Amino acid sequence: MAKELSDAQCLIVADADVLIRNALAEYLRHCGYKVFEAATSDEVIIALDEGAAKIDAVLADAELTGRHNAFELRIWIRDHYPDVQVVLAGNIDSAAKAAGQMCDDGPHLRRPYDPERVAVHIKRLLAATRR
Amino acid sequence: MGVQTILVVEDEFLIRFMLADGLRDIGYQVLEAADGEEGFDVLSSGQVVDLVVTDVRMPGGIDGMELTRRSKSLAPGRPVIVCSAHLFRSESHPADEFLAKPYTFAALADVIARLIGDPWQKSSQTLSA
Repeated sequence: MAKELSDAQCLIVADADVLIRNALAEYLRHCGYKVFEAATSDEVIIALDEGAAKIDAVLADAELTGRHNAFELRIWIRDHYPDVQVVLAGNIDSAAKAAGQMCDDGPHLRRPYDPERVAVHIKRLLAATRR
Repeated sequence: MGVQTILVVEDEFLIRFMLADGLRDIGYQVLEAADGEEGFDVLSSGQVVDLVVTDVRMPGGIDGMELTRRSKSLAPGRPVIVCSAHLFRSESHPADEFLAKPYTFAALADVIARLIGDPWQKSSQTLSA
């Protein structure tokens, strides 16, 4: 995946949970990417079809909701935008790890901070809203 | 003082992206939420939010007016700007400012700068201090 994402400049972070989405997107912006934040698979499709920028990769929650589930979305993207890489993450830790990997090969070529901190930050935010 | 954080709550994906991207370009930190419930999740999470910009009509159980009331309940001094194509300036609302859609990005940026300051001005003040 690292090589395939090496030229990526513009990403979509897709997750139904706003706190996860915000934190992952912010981390990837620190890495130098322009990032679209999508709450549903429908918004991913709008970003791909109507967004002004060429999207290089999509980092999506495996439990993404919308007209398509995450796996259907991956197939849809493969059929309509074969150059766009799709990474599905099953949980917060794997999403942060994937973001870190994207960051290593991204525009700035250096991690602003460890992706494990992103996962810890997200879990802390989620805990605060569930108090 | 660090960079101020603005929460943009808008269910129209491209509008949300353009607003957030534009505000980042002029120096603000921006959090995005796709509806009122997400907006309230962000406000309840303990993250610092200096100002809220919200659409009024959104899907889900919390519209922009209810989100404004909840934001004021959590932080009475935090400014809220509501944007709507379905509300008139003369109507009462709990927000600090109202922008009728369609509005220009420059108009929104002016209102934000008046309420919480201009990030460029702040950074130059810091440099000259």
